Order: sequence, then C-alpha cells, then structure tokens
Amino acid sequence: MNRQLRMGTRIKWNRIASYAVLIFIALLYLGPLFMLVNTSLKTMPSFMKDATSLATEPHFENFSEAWTKANFPKYLLNSVGYTTAATAIYIVTAVFVAFPIARGYIKYSGAVLTLFVIALFLPPALIPQFQLMLNLGLYNNPIGYIMLFIVNPIGIVILVNYVKTIPRELDEAAALDGCGYFRFVWSIVIPLIRPAIATVIVMHAIGIWNEIIAPTIYLTSKEYYPITRGLIVFQGVYGSNWPTLAAAVLLLTLPMLVLFLVLQRYIVSGLTAGAVKG
Amino acid sequence: MSYHFGRGKAKLIPYLLLLPGLLFYFLISLGPSMATAVYSFTDATGIKGAPIHWIGLDNYREFLFMGRASVDNLDALKRTLIFCVAVTFIQFSLGLLVALLVNQKLKGTNIFRTIYFMPVILGAVIQGLMWSLFLYPLGGPAAKLLSIFGLRSEFLGGQPAEAFAWVIFIQIWANMGITMMIFIAGLQTIPTDMYEAARIDGANSWQVFRNVTWPLLTPSVNTNLLLNIIGSLQAWQLFLVLVGYRNGTQVLGYLIYATGFGQTSGSVTSSFRQGYAAAASIVLFLLVLVIGMAVQYILQRREARILG
Repeated sequence: MNRQLRMGTRIKWNRIASYAVLIFIALLYLGPLFMLVNTSLKTMPSFMKDATSLATEPHFENFSEAWTKANFPKYLLNSVGYTTAATAIYIVTAVFVAFPIARGYIKYSGAVLTLFVIALFLPPALIPQFQLMLNLGLYNNPIGYIMLFIVNPIGIVILVNYVKTIPRELDEAAALDGCGYFRFVWSIVIPLIRPAIATVIVMHAIGIWNEIIAPTIYLTSKEYYPITRGLIVFQGVYGSNWPTLAAAVLLLTLPMLVLFLVLQRYIVSGLTAGAVKG
Repeated sequence: MSYHFGRGKAKLIPYLLLLPGLLFYFLISLGPSMATAVYSFTDATGIKGAPIHWIGLDNYREFLFMGRASVDNLDALKRTLIFCVAVTFIQFSLGLLVALLVNQKLKGTNIFRTIYFMPVILGAVIQGLMWSLFLYPLGGPAAKLLSIFGLRSEFLGGQPAEAFAWVIFIQIWANMGITMMIFIAGLQTIPTDMYEAARIDGANSWQVFRNVTWPLLTPSVNTNLLLNIIGSLQAWQLFLVLVGYRNGTQVLGYLIYATGFGQTSGSVTSSFRQGYAAAASIVLFLLVLVIGMAVQYILQRREARILG
C-alpha cells in the first residue's frame, strides 16, 4: 500500500515535470507567433510607445495597407504560378521515372536510381546552373526560374519505394485486358500511389514556396518576384514600421498554418524524408 | 523483369516516357553539379558571353593562402564548423528529449508535436522576420525579459558574436521539429514488451533509457546526426534574412553566394567572381564530404558494436 502510494506520487511528479518542459518549449514557439499577431493589430504610435502592450483595440487597417503596399496580389500570384507549374511538371516526369525503375522495365534500373541519388552527395550546382541559365537567355525569366525546380531526387526515391508495394500481377492483368503502358501508369498506377504522390507534391511545393536564395539570384525584375522576395523587399522599405510588416508576414503565415494543419500527415512524412536533402 | 505491355518497339515506350525526367535531371542537377569542379579552375564571371580562361589552382591558392581575404575565408570556415557543432549538439539533444517527452502516454502530446514542427513549413523568410520582431531591441519581448534582470542587448544588431549566437538559436528553433519527428518514428518501432521486460527486471527510468531505448534508437540517431551535421554545414538562409552579409558573422555558404552573385542582390556586374565562388563551393563540399564520411564511419562501427 505504502509502496503503491509512493509510486503514484512519483509518476505524477514525472508528469508535471514533463508538462513543464513541454510548455516552456512551446512558449518559445508560440511567443513569436503571438507577438506577430499582436503587433499586426496595433498602430505605429502605440507600437513605438510600448512594443509589447496588448492590442486592446485591434486595428485591421494594417492588413489592407500591407496587402496593397507590399504588392501582395502580384507576388502571391507569381508564387502560386511558379509552385504549381514546377510541381506539376516535376510530379508527372517523376512518376514516369520511378515506375519503370521500381518494376525493372528498363535495363540497369538499379544503376539509374543510383544516378538520381548521387547528386545529393555531389558539390552544389549553384554556379554552373547560373551560367547555364544565363547562356540560355533564361536569366530573370519566369520559365528559367520554373526550370530550376523540376528536379528532386528524394521524391523519386519515395515513389520507387511506394510502387514496389503494388502487386505486379496488376500489370499482367491490365496488359492482358489490352491496356497500354501509358494508360496503365496514368489511370491505374497514379491513383494507387496517391499517398506517396501527395507526400512528394507537398514536400516539393513547400520547398519552392519558401525558396529565397533562387529568387534573389535569378529574378531581378520586381514583376517576377515571388512572395518571399517580395517580403524581403517590403522589409527593406517598411523595416521600421513593424505593425504593417507584421501584418504582411501574418498574411503569408496564416494560409501556411491552415494548410499545415490540414495536410499535416503528408507534410511530416514528406519533410522528414525530404530532410535528407540537408 | 518481364514486360507485359507489348513486344518489339513497344518495349521502348517506358524508356521514352522516362527520358524527360532523366534529361531535366542531367541538365539542371547532375551536370551543373559536376561542372562546379571545372568552373573552379577558371576565372568565370557572371557576365554573359565574357571569355573564360583556365587558371589552374589559382582560385584555391587565393582562397586559402592569399592576403587579408584568405584570413576572412578561414574565419568563415572556422565559423561554419562552430555553427555546425553547436547546432548539431543542441538540436540533436533537444530533439531527443522532446521526442521522449511527447512519446509518453500523456494528454495533448499531439498538440505539442504540431507546435514544435510548425516553423519547418514556414520557411526561412517568415522564421527570420518573426524573430526579428521578437528580438526588436527597443522594447520587444526579448528585450523586456532581459531588462527584468537589468540586462540590455542589441540582439541581431549587436556584436557579431552575439548576432551569430542568435542565428544558431533560431536555426535550432526552426529545425528541431524535423529531428523530433525522426526520433518519434524511431521510438515507435521499439516494441513495448522490451520496456516491460526491463521494468520487470527492476530497471529504473534511466536504466531503461540507457539499455533499451538508446541502443534500439541507433538508426534514428545515425540519421539525425548525419542530417544535422550536413544540413548545418550548408545552411545560411537565416543569416541572409536575420543579419545580412556582416563581417564577423559570415559562414561559408553565404560567402560563396556573396562572391558569386554580389552581397545583396543578384544583379549581374563584372565584379562577380564565379570561378572563385565555385572553388569555395568545392572547399565547402570537401569539408562536408570529409566530416560526413568520418561520422558515417564512426556511426557504422558503433552500430556494429551495439547490434553485432
């Protein structure tokens, strides 16, 4: 009895300590987010007077100001365009690379897969890639910018592994019924490997959406900027006007957070696999 | 393997459909990646049509041994290593601790997991701007906290060493979620009867961790260590957003970008030394390769010892 009681209290202490640590760390994550929300609802004078005071009378005009002054609609549209175009091209080509490799329908499929993975261990492609784009006349060009993102070896590895879980007998049966290769992959394999495709799409799209180095290198005209570069420019101009800047950042953060909560499963599996990229 | 979708020429269809993906890969990724080594022996600039000359090892000699610039380069190299060690050590330990905590039978662990993983999807720009605001030196939350203890700080605008330390902190904050998720995945592969058996044998929590969890977690330990090391050696996006190209804070990745493309924008001018930047990329690549292989070797020997 006495011993049970002692066990009971010990476990409880354990719990309290666990929660204390978890909550302390969570505050480090929610604090900056809360500060962002609070600041975006304040006026500039009230921010200058006391940056951390609560926005008791929320001012939403920061959002409309950020939306128009930061040229948000244009940049947002660019980001959406780059992300969808590059992801669509990538996923279609990737499926047609991954499927025959997984099935061994091409010669030396193992070697071909190795070829795709090897780039992860080679030097960065930064400089020659730039020279290539420059000489193709695709510098500061949306098409050239999209081309940078139609390759992603990790996605291929994920797809290959997933295709292997699909029974081979399906191929035979479909072929016996007179189904061609393209139609088989397009209308039978693709629906079957949807979870893997979703993971790869989400991982690839997030990477493009958040990219900041490539637009700084490749895009010089403002009309081509994606939202990330747009935000940096906006920071340069409105750097001291934190309420408006915070509203701009929040306008971009909220949709990402919503998307994250909805697609969490795919995002986590994609990014933990995608983390191999470093 | 036998191919079912026709004979003769029809057998070529898979090759044909594979071709676009393979070509893109060669053109955009593999080719340029290998060409970095070639460019590192030239005096290439960022100007279209400018002649390129073969200059042998000059870029490397200059990068490593010539004058004031090489001292700065070696400082950046040293800083890259410090960044790597600090980020890896803290992110690995913290990720493991948090994974162990949320893997318990506690209410609300899913919420904590979601919160810690959140920054990963936001990307460097939002991460950076969020923290720039939180570290606002004139009465921001961090400044207020410090003032309670009678301390003051300029944070990201302060001494280079201080700004550098903050970037390390934010880098860990941003990526700890990935480390945690990989550890959680590893923890979930450990069968519960292993824990029960250890408990019946009278092991306390520490002994269970030391003798059951830690050895069985070896695969995720290896993955996380390698990812953290390689990732942090190459990371520099947060420097770009948080402090800019500032003396005393540069790491190699940023230095390569700055010499190749200019310090603040990507507009092409004659001073951009892309051959030199390519040589610097190769130096960074060799650093990653040597450290990565050494760590891999140690981890494999450890794994053989534990599981063998």
